Amino acid sequence: MGQLWESFVMAFKDVFANKTRSFLTMLGIIIGILSVSLMGTAISGINDTFENSMEMIGNDVLHLQKYPWFMKGGDWWDFRNRPEMKVEYADKILQRSKNISFATPEMQNMRNVKYGDNSIQGVFIDAANWQLQHVNSLKFEDGRFFTKSEDRNASKVVVIGYGIKDNLFPNQNPIGEDIKIRGMKYKVIGVLKEQGKFLGLFSFDNMVIIPLKSAYSIFGRRRHMSITLKVREGVDIKTAKDEVTMIMRSLRGLKPSEKNNFEINQQEAFREQFSAIKMGISGVGFGITALALLVGGIGIMNIMFVSVKERTKEIGIRKALGAKQNVILFQFLSEAVIIAVIGGMIGLIITTSLVGLLNKFFVASLSIKLVIISLSVSIITGVLSGIVPARKAAKLDPIDAIRYE
Amino acid sequence: MALLELNNIYKTYKIGTVEVHALQGLNAVIEKNEYVSIMGPSGSGKSTLMNIIGCLDTPTEGNYLLDGLTVHSNDPEKGKLDDNKLAEIRNQKIGFVFQTFNLLPRATALHNVELPLIYAGISKKARMEKTHSTLIKVGLGDRIYHRPNELSGGQRQRVAIARALVNNPSIILADEPTGNLDSKTSAEIMVLLDKLHSAGNTIILVTHEHNIAEHAHRIITLLDGKVSKDSKTGKGNIKQMIENN
Repeated sequence: MGQLWESFVMAFKDVFANKTRSFLTMLGIIIGILSVSLMGTAISGINDTFENSMEMIGNDVLHLQKYPWFMKGGDWWDFRNRPEMKVEYADKILQRSKNISFATPEMQNMRNVKYGDNSIQGVFIDAANWQLQHVNSLKFEDGRFFTKSEDRNASKVVVIGYGIKDNLFPNQNPIGEDIKIRGMKYKVIGVLKEQGKFLGLFSFDNMVIIPLKSAYSIFGRRRHMSITLKVREGVDIKTAKDEVTMIMRSLRGLKPSEKNNFEINQQEAFREQFSAIKMGISGVGFGITALALLVGGIGIMNIMFVSVKERTKEIGIRKALGAKQNVILFQFLSEAVIIAVIGGMIGLIITTSLVGLLNKFFVASLSIKLVIISLSVSIITGVLSGIVPARKAAKLDPIDAIRYE
Repeated sequence: MALLELNNIYKTYKIGTVEVHALQGLNAVIEKNEYVSIMGPSGSGKSTLMNIIGCLDTPTEGNYLLDGLTVHSNDPEKGKLDDNKLAEIRNQKIGFVFQTFNLLPRATALHNVELPLIYAGISKKARMEKTHSTLIKVGLGDRIYHRPNELSGGQRQRVAIARALVNNPSIILADEPTGNLDSKTSAEIMVLLDKLHSAGNTIILVTHEHNIAEHAHRIITLLDGKVSKDSKTGKGNIKQMIENN
């Protein structure tokens, strides 16, 4: 054991005795580990961002709409010719369904929002009924959602996102103040908790919610509408979807031979798209990593052969002095592994600094798991590329080796 | 029992299709604390014999006993020793001193001398004590942390001798130890070897220089892979006389 430790120490010194050469040898490994750790970080970052965003949509929510979220084949004109959603579907589905607990029609549009001299361009206005707070499980920073009666009376009240509060009321409590949406006064009754961006694109914090009936004067009646449904707790989403499909078919009076002329969208659609993207990134990343590690490993193997050749005499001396084969083998194997692991660590250090950059696009962090994987990959690469040269060194004939000049 | 017994040793090399008979039925017995020179013209089998005695190589045929241990036997039962076992014997029983010193160039004198102890699996603390005292013994107490290129030829050979000595081997095997040194330094090195012999070490010296060989008490001369002459020099007798007095 002591001998192996000494061999390891000697290998370590040898790596540092040839700094430039060792570093150049490491390059392939550095790139390989850089690519594997960056890819891992990116995927986990994208994954986290995605999961957060999915939570915003809710995994127990069905979106009854005219168009599917992602068109998979089919003719766009077929979708376009479908009838629009109607407000009353929400109540009718709620009455007939056993599996839906809340339902709201929703209309969305972009409008400017003003408070005093402050104004924000293109705020996302969401118009829904009082049930939206339950459908989307809204969480409040301050205040409350509008009530059933405020909803029915088309009261001019508004719930604002955290970002709107920050921008319009930086040093002021917004509750009870009036903001203007397209010239109409709305009284602020609630502020939502901060939510973050949806898929890094669109901020739910930068929205306001108003009662649907109060929105007609702002949007006009003939806006594209959707019905958002909350699946009752404990009910399988598939069951609920099938039931809603049946209810909708009967509401629309479709014959059995006719196709659905509506779409029930859910989180799943995003997941399918996302896993395809993830597979793409992993595939490309894996390819680059494998290639870089292969090249890096061959580089190490090459330099180890050179090292064994150069140090033939040294090996001869060591053997004459009583070094056994496995001790020599271990020394050269250690050298290859040390080169690979230092390369791996440099790769990880570079990754750490690049993660800061990635963070500008999505939440990215280098996990311990990824560090362990990267270092294991380095060790394996080192062993695989060092074993053949090390065996060659171990098997050298001491007489020939010691005479080698 | 003799320290070293070579019985009817043959060594045949194959170079391409040509067979070279380096040793052809060589016999020799060397006792503990002997001081022996091996001489002979080139091609006489000196180097081959040296390699076999040093367990760097094994004979093709014949029996070789070293310190009661069968290194090679014609009897397949006793068998040949494998590479690792030979390495162990070299480590425990042989101390090499080479013409070209054969020190590790990037290692300090200390580390060079330490190597056999590392391969013997001795603890760091014991290694340091042993290495220091041995370097002091060969007169290099003040050069411990120097690398070979910072040392003179004579000093390098002293490091090599310290390395050969550090594991208390049965035999110190010196192959032309003064071959790369000037006459003054050669004389100093020979004085050191003489001293080591007086201290109880067994020394086998391979050389082609008569005045160097004369330091030994016995000269074995090789010719065509056999011992052609085995004679005592005066030295041993004088020493014997001194001891007897």
